[in-house]
Amino acid sequence: MKISKKQGVQNTIPTGSMADIIFLLLIFFMVTTIFKMESGLPITLPRAESGGELQRERLITVWADRYNRISINDKLMRVDDIDKVVGAKLEENSNLIVAFKVDRIAKYRLVSDIIEQLKHANAINVTFVSVAEES
Amino acid sequence: MIKKSSKVTSEFSTSSMSDINFLLLIFFLVSTMFAVDRGLPMSLPGESSSTVKLKTEDVLKIRAFSNGAIEAKGKGPIALSEIEPFVRAKLKVNPELVIVIETHPDAEYNIMIDILDELRNADASKISLRTMKSG
Repeated sequence: MKISKKQGVQNTIPTGSMADIIFLLLIFFMVTTIFKMESGLPITLPRAESGGELQRERLITVWADRYNRISINDKLMRVDDIDKVVGAKLEENSNLIVAFKVDRIAKYRLVSDIIEQLKHANAINVTFVSVAEES
Repeated sequence: MIKKSSKVTSEFSTSSMSDINFLLLIFFLVSTMFAVDRGLPMSLPGESSSTVKLKTEDVLKIRAFSNGAIEAKGKGPIALSEIEPFVRAKLKVNPELVIVIETHPDAEYNIMIDILDELRNADASKISLRTMKSG
């Protein structure tokens, strides 16, 4: 008895669903990626023309708003505690730059007090974060 | 009589969908810009650094008051836009000039940053921050 073999086997991979797989992967990684971000305090930064770009890795940010609240690493703190926190950070990495993110209508007294604390902690390099001037 | 062929396929090809997705992905990868912080760098005097005595003629004091007024030593009240040419002229005469920004504690942080920005635009390198004695 003769059995005829069917030779009609397809040797192509169906690529129609490839797009769905790529979309799924894309959406999966979009959803699962978490950026390490400090949320800080809601402030409006002052404007300045001459601001240079900052390297994010070297910064420790001190947030201060118009209601005299101070936040470092998303923790609210009193002025007197800044030197300890910043001092501990500086021990890990001595060439850190302290970035001031201060509301533009905050009182200078607050900034002055923070600067005094930083001097105690020997944090010499500071930078006043600003946004580019809109002409 | 003409026979109409009814062999029109009712599917559209989805194999190029992945190309379109890749194109979109690459387009957004290239066109996305991450927000970069900009800042005005300053060096603070540390706890250990000794006080440097300066000659009076080497110091230019710019004072910012709580009502937003700015006053430069030897000129009296000065507008913000006048600071840059004024400091530039002073620096041409005396390149060793140290500029002291003396801010009133009740003044807005904004004013200090504006003055600092003007000084940086005037290529002043020796800048010192002071807080006005209130009262």
